Amino acid sequence: MLKAIHYINQFFGQVGGEDAADAKPIFHDNLVGCSMMLNQMVKPDIEVTNTIVCGDNYITNHTDEALKEIFAWLDTKKFDIFFAGPAFMAGRYGVGCGIMCKAVAERYHVPVITSMNEENPGVEEYKSVCCIFKGGRKATFMKDDVTAMAAFAKKIARGEELLPAAQEGYFPRGIRAEIPQPDGRIAADRVIDMLLKKLKGEPFQTELIIPKMEKIPPAPALKDLAHATIALVSSSGVVPVDNPDRIQSASAQKWGKYDISKLDNLPEGVFKTIHAGFDPAAMCHIPDRGIPVDAMRYFEKQGKIGKLYDYFYVTVGTGTTQAFAAKFGREIAAELNAAKVDAVVLTAT
Amino acid sequence: MERPGRGCPVISKGHRGDLIPANLEEGVISVMRLEIGAFHVTDIKFGDHTGYSKGVLTVNKEELLKVVKEDEHITTADLKIVHPGDEVVLCPVKEAVEMRCKVSGGHGIFPGVLSEMEIAGSGRTHCLQGCSLLVVGEHWGGFQDGLIAMGGKYQHHTIFGDMVNLVLVADTDEEFEKREQQKKNHALRWAGMRLAEYVGQCVKDLEPENIEVYDLPALNERGPEVDKLPRVVYVLQPQTQMEAMGYNTLIYGWDGNHILPTFMHPNELLDGCMVSGSFMPTSSKISTYEFAVNPMIKKLYEQHGKTINFLGVVMSTLNVKMDEKARCVKMAGQICTSLGVDAAVVVEEGYGNPDVDYTAMLVELERLGIKTIGLSDECTGRDGASQPLVSMNPATDALVSTGNVSQMYEFPKMEVIGELEALARDGNSGGWEGCIRPDGSFVMENNGMFCANHISGYSKRTCADF
Repeated sequence: MLKAIHYINQFFGQVGGEDAADAKPIFHDNLVGCSMMLNQMVKPDIEVTNTIVCGDNYITNHTDEALKEIFAWLDTKKFDIFFAGPAFMAGRYGVGCGIMCKAVAERYHVPVITSMNEENPGVEEYKSVCCIFKGGRKATFMKDDVTAMAAFAKKIARGEELLPAAQEGYFPRGIRAEIPQPDGRIAADRVIDMLLKKLKGEPFQTELIIPKMEKIPPAPALKDLAHATIALVSSSGVVPVDNPDRIQSASAQKWGKYDISKLDNLPEGVFKTIHAGFDPAAMCHIPDRGIPVDAMRYFEKQGKIGKLYDYFYVTVGTGTTQAFAAKFGREIAAELNAAKVDAVVLTAT
Repeated sequence: MERPGRGCPVISKGHRGDLIPANLEEGVISVMRLEIGAFHVTDIKFGDHTGYSKGVLTVNKEELLKVVKEDEHITTADLKIVHPGDEVVLCPVKEAVEMRCKVSGGHGIFPGVLSEMEIAGSGRTHCLQGCSLLVVGEHWGGFQDGLIAMGGKYQHHTIFGDMVNLVLVADTDEEFEKREQQKKNHALRWAGMRLAEYVGQCVKDLEPENIEVYDLPALNERGPEVDKLPRVVYVLQPQTQMEAMGYNTLIYGWDGNHILPTFMHPNELLDGCMVSGSFMPTSSKISTYEFAVNPMIKKLYEQHGKTINFLGVVMSTLNVKMDEKARCVKMAGQICTSLGVDAAVVVEEGYGNPDVDYTAMLVELERLGIKTIGLSDECTGRDGASQPLVSMNPATDALVSTGNVSQMYEFPKMEVIGELEALARDGNSGGWEGCIRPDGSFVMENNGMFCANHISGYSKRTCADF
């Protein structure tokens, strides 16, 4: 039998309403509130052993402290699955559940399950990092929402095949995988079906939904290159040889920032590429071909550009998701803006 | 004028024939009516003679190996027979061909390749259906070669796992590419075609068990009832991205890299105008077998005259340079406009860079007011979180997905025909050094499973969000 721990907020944890939203985490050695219902539903495959209760304001406004306290306690517990919520439409509760699920998945590598209404802001922010089941708008849906979370957890406990998000009832996490076509129909038949419906103007379901793309207007052109500070940003995976930030070689989830203020180029043996998407030999030999410090110094000396910024920023492009790439972009742009960098040369491979 | 054997009427000397027939009337193809005479093969056996009777194809091994060894570059060769359910994997698989012969209306099953150039798609072709000829490297594989499982969990991942196959296992003296990741596989692929035609000849004079008729008149001769129906084309983007010759899909023996979009009759494909290339990760390839047996064209034929007016095929290409991509997409769009096309089925043989051509074709046709359906596979990465197509556009609102090249497949140790090590050693797109464990079990990406995403339209798989 697997063991599970359940996170709920101050209201459902019977501490109080809005007045108790600043409550620090309370760790119960028994089950409180809706944890009991959850435990009834997951029996006999799973036992919910403990309830964590925390105020919505505390977890969302003091996240680092809250997580520190919760980790200190969770580190002493043995558990195989983590539940949070359901959070319905409650925005801060939803975000709190998302924060907990993300942190627990990263630290303990266990399945994390929660539930929210589609209008809960926690859905958009955390759907890629945990299974958020599609829940009701308010607490009258408690039984339905807990049932959905429990049913999925039981499938995990029994080692049953997990179906696509739409069938299981959670928000897609941005992961796509191959499945047998549910009706066993060959692709040519599916094409004909879609073709005839599209010709008749009837509704049809594409097998690959293309998301609407975010259009970013380009920044205005530089007026005075000779006095501009230019930074190098790259997806080439060129890092110091010991890869101090442990940036992943594919599907990167972080970026690094390295000091080049005293360098005229990136020497072989001091820098290398960790990119797994191409043969690295040539770029390891001359890392400047990924991050062209040598060329930029040349232009700097010529007076063509004002200054090469003291740090370069780098991640790995191969397999990296659009969501992560956009996040990196926002984080790096914020730093460059603060450092009054005027423009960026973005090298890709 | 001299008239060579097999009673062919118009050809004189030389492989390609004369451009101008001796007798103009004889040279005119007036009707694109193709009869596929079907022989439904339920088993293949070795025997003293090569022949077909009551569902059983018997082949004389020695006789067939002589045909294989007509090419002096073939150094060793053997034939095997595999059945659905056999606990065996074939690797490295290079090609699959339907065994056929031309009975009338032409001189060979691969015009412009094994026989002189003439238009395929009329007359009678006899086909040994429900079985295939597979060509497997005895030792050496490459990027473009694949694996077929005849039994176990992945038997149904290819149509070949569900049919009885005659398997040519051979090696060649093509030393120049022995250690190359990209292989032309010329000797082996051509041996496969020769053998398919040789075996196919055994049903030339027999009465087929049934006859499929593919008869699509000229655009102006279809009658008022058909003219009222929505006009649909099949837009094919075969894999033609290799700049070096000898690797790309062939159209009448002509390297697809050197064509511009053109309008073709579907019968030309059903009757062997296409030969599969030797480039691109194999699961996204269309085998020569599937170019001809083509379920998508057959389904469009079924609808013709009932729900659609199936105009024909727009043969396009896949390219590497942006201006080439644009040229082909715009020209294909113009052909569709001139033909008054209402809807198009766009098919991409490949993934990755060619997704740019695929999406561009769909978007261009939609821009021209043509309703499109796309048919291809996806690449979602090891974690499933990568963008499934390299190029995506919200205008492509009707896509059929046939599989995911990144999907991982776990195999137990199985008997092998060929050399499994080719998967790990020779740069196979779905294998890597270390993918075969010491106990003989192995793991691979979908990428390396032979033509498994069946972009021809056979795929019973799709992708979903998790």
